[in-house]
Amino acid sequence: MMAQAGTAAKDAPQLRKSSWKRTALIWLSRYGTIVGLVLMVVFFSANAPGIFLSRANFLNILSQASLTAIIASGLTYTLVVGEFDLSIGYVASFVGLIVTGLMAYQGFPIWLSIVCALLLGAAIGALNGVLVTKVRINAVISTLGIGTMLTGIGFTYSSFPIATGIPRAFTDISLGRLVFGLPNPVIIMVIVLIALWVILNKTDIGQKMQAVGGNLEAARLSGIRVDRIKIFAFATAGFCAALTGTLLSSLLGSGTLAAADGYLLDAFAAVFLGSATLKEGEFHITGTLVGVLILAVGFNGLSIFGAPTHFQPIFKGGILVLAVGMSALARRYAASV
Amino acid sequence: MPPAASAGPWMRIRGLTKSFAGEVALDHADLDIEQGKVHGLVGANGAGKSTLIRCLAGVTVADEGSVTIAGEDLQKGSPRASEQAGLAFIHQELNLIPHFNALQNMLLGAPKVTRFGIIDWQRSGVAARAAAERVGIRFPLETKVSELSVAQRWLVMISKALVGEASMIAMDEPTASLSGPESEQLFAIIRDLSAQGVAILYVSHRLEEVLQLCDRITVLRDGRIVDGAERGALNKKGLVRAIIGHDIRPPDARTRFAADRSRQPIFSVRDIAWKSAVKGVSFDLYKGEVLALGGLVGAGRTELAHLVAGAARPDAGHFELDGKRLDIANEAEAVRASIALVPEERRSQGVMLQQSVGFNINISTLKKLRAIPGLPFVSDTKARRQANSLIAQLGIKTPSVDARIGGLSGGNQQKALIARWLNAGTRLLILDEPSRGVDVGAREEIHDAIRTLARSGVGILVISSDVEELTLLADRVLVMREGRVTGELTGADITEARIIELSYHDPNDEEGDIA
Repeated sequence: MMAQAGTAAKDAPQLRKSSWKRTALIWLSRYGTIVGLVLMVVFFSANAPGIFLSRANFLNILSQASLTAIIASGLTYTLVVGEFDLSIGYVASFVGLIVTGLMAYQGFPIWLSIVCALLLGAAIGALNGVLVTKVRINAVISTLGIGTMLTGIGFTYSSFPIATGIPRAFTDISLGRLVFGLPNPVIIMVIVLIALWVILNKTDIGQKMQAVGGNLEAARLSGIRVDRIKIFAFATAGFCAALTGTLLSSLLGSGTLAAADGYLLDAFAAVFLGSATLKEGEFHITGTLVGVLILAVGFNGLSIFGAPTHFQPIFKGGILVLAVGMSALARRYAASV
Repeated sequence: MPPAASAGPWMRIRGLTKSFAGEVALDHADLDIEQGKVHGLVGANGAGKSTLIRCLAGVTVADEGSVTIAGEDLQKGSPRASEQAGLAFIHQELNLIPHFNALQNMLLGAPKVTRFGIIDWQRSGVAARAAAERVGIRFPLETKVSELSVAQRWLVMISKALVGEASMIAMDEPTASLSGPESEQLFAIIRDLSAQGVAILYVSHRLEEVLQLCDRITVLRDGRIVDGAERGALNKKGLVRAIIGHDIRPPDARTRFAADRSRQPIFSVRDIAWKSAVKGVSFDLYKGEVLALGGLVGAGRTELAHLVAGAARPDAGHFELDGKRLDIANEAEAVRASIALVPEERRSQGVMLQQSVGFNINISTLKKLRAIPGLPFVSDTKARRQANSLIAQLGIKTPSVDARIGGLSGGNQQKALIARWLNAGTRLLILDEPSRGVDVGAREEIHDAIRTLARSGVGILVISSDVEELTLLADRVLVMREGRVTGELTGADITEARIIELSYHDPNDEEGDIA
C-alpha cells in the first residue's frame, strides 16, 4: 500500500496502482455479498443439479425466504432511524396466535381477523416507539420487555396450540398460487418490499427517516419531528412482524405459542448482511432482500446435502460475521490505501 | 528533555506526500521542528494541515517522504510509535472521557501503580499532579471532566500529554472555544512549556494569535509549503496573502446597512430570562440587517440564541415574530414557525455526513419538492433543480449534487447548511459561530451568503466569539455580559476595541480566570 520513498510525486503509475486497489476493495465491500450469493447458487447447482436447480426448489426457497423477508424489511426501518426492535419475533408469534384465536374463539371472519392482527402488530410497534422516544427507555430494554410480556400474554390467551375451528380458506392463503403460479407469500413479499422501498426512497417520510438515522440532531434542527418518524418506523416493524406471524399461522394451519420467535435472529442476520451490500454500512431494503436470500439459499443447500439441522445456526452465524467483517475490513483498507 | 545530541533540527520532515483517491493532499512537505520553539502552522481548509498532523500522529500513512526524530526514523502509520517518540496531539474535539475525573483522564493509557490489581490513585497520580502543577491547574483533579469548562479541559489535555512525557505537543485550534483571558492563560502555558524545551506545533485560523505566539510560522496552500518565516518577518496581511493567494477586501464601515427602525421589526425579544444564564434581555431585529450578539463565552448569548431557536422555554418574557407572539416548545416547532438555527457544531448537529449535498440542502423543504401536491412522493427532478440552483447561488464548491457532503470543505458544508433555509420560507435565521474552523477566504464567502439572505428580508441573528468576525459581518452588534446586554454598537462604532471594552465591564473581574 505504501509507495516507496524516492519516486517522483506525480508518478502516475503509483497513483493508479493504489486507486486501482482502492476501487477493487470498495467494489468488494459493496458487491461481496451478492458475489457470495451467486457463488453459492453456482456451487449448489453444479453439485446437485437435479435437486437444487429446479423450478420447484427455487419456489421452495422463495417461499421460505418470503416470511423472513417481510419481517426483516420491517426491522430494516427501525435500523434506518438508528434504533432497533428485539420484539419482532415475539410480536409475530403473538399475533399468529391471536389471529387464529379470533377466528376459532371469537368467530371473526377471516378478513376481519387479519385486519385486527395487522393493526395489533402496528399498535405494539407504535407502543415500542413511544417507549423509546417519549419515555426514553433504551430500545434494548423496551422492546425486549414488551416482547417478553407478549409471550406471557399469549400463554394466558391460549396455553395450547389453536388448531381447530380455523377455516380452510385461511390456510389456503399461504398455500395458494394466485399469480403466475407463484406461492402467495412470495407475491405478498414482493408487494411489501416494493411498498417499503418506495416509502424509504421516494417519499418525504423516507427521506426524513434517513435524515434521522444519519444525524439525529441535524434532523431535529431541520424541523423534522424526530419522535414521530421513529414511532412510524417502529409501527412499520410491528406491522411487518404481524404479517409474518399471520402468514406463518396460515402455513402451519394453527396458532402456536412461540412459533415465530426464531425469526428475530434470522431477520437481524439478514438486515446486517444487507447493510454490507451495495451501500457502505447503511441499512436498506434491497440489501435486506439479498441478506434473506443468502440465508435461504444456504439453508436449502445445506439440507439438500444432508447436513444436520444444527449446521444451520453455524452457517447463519458464520456467514454473518464473515460478510459484515469482510465488508468492514475492505472499507477500512480502501480508506487507508 | 535534552535537545537532540546530533546537530540539526530535532524533527526533520522531508518530502512528505499523501494523496487520497488520486488527489494530492500533501505535496513534498519539508519542515524542521525544534524543541523549545512554538511552530505555527496556518493555511486554508484543505491546505494539508490536518493531513500533515495525521501523518505525524500515525493515523494516516504517507505515500512518500520521511520523518526523523532526533536522528531516528519515525515508523509510518503507527500511532503507538508516534506516541513513544514523544508526540502528543490535542484535537479540537478533546478526546476526554466526560464521566471520568481529570486525574483518571490524565492517566488514561499511562501505567498505574496497583496493589493486588487495585489501582492506587494516590501514588499513580504523582506524575499527573506534577504535570497539573506545571500547567497551573488550580481545580481539584478529582473533578469530573463533564463539570469542567472547555478551557479547563484543555489544561487536562496538556497535562495528559506531559504525563506521557511528550517532547512535542500539536494543538489544533486551541482557542476556538476560549475567551480572551482564557486564551491569554493558554499562551502563557505554551510559552512556559516551550521554555522548558517542549516543541509546540500550533495550528490555528486566528492569525493574530499565531503572529503573537509563534517563533516560526509555516504556511500551507494546496498541500505545499508556500511560505515560512521567523517571528517578526511576517505580518497579518502577508500571511493572509500567502494563505489565500490574494488580498482580502478590507472591512468597510460605509457598507454597513442601517435598518429602517420605524418599521415593524421582524423579530422582537422581550424581557427574556432563563435560569442564571439570561437575565432579562430585550431587543428588536429589523428587516435587512445582520444583527450580531457578542460577548465572552458564558455571557449568555449562546443560551439566548438557543431559547430563540426553541431548545427550551424561557422562564420569563416572550418572543414576537412579525408582531405576533410566539409560543414554541421545541426546535421542530420553531422551524415550522419559520425560525431556523445553523448550529455551531457543524459535523455533529448540522450535516448528515453520509448523505449527498442535495439531500442535505433539500431536507427542510421536502414538501415543496413533491411530484404531485398532496401525495408524499419527492420528485427527483425538482429536488435536483432546487439543489443545483442553490449551489450556484451560494457558490458551493462540490463535484455534483450527488457528492457526499462529508467530502466538502468546512466552508462549503456551512454554505450548504445556509442553503437549506434559503427556500424554506425562513423568517429568522440564527447562525451560531458561522465561520468556526473555516479559513479566511471561505469566511468571506459565508459572510456574503449571510448578507444576501439579510437583504432579501430574512432576519439574521449571528452569534460569534470571534470579535473580528463581528466587525466584518454585523450591521449592528449587541454585546452581552453575564446574561445582560451591556451595549449596542452601530455603524463606525463597531470596532474590536469597543466590543472588547463592553465585553469586560470590569477588567479586574476574575470571570475569565480558567484555573
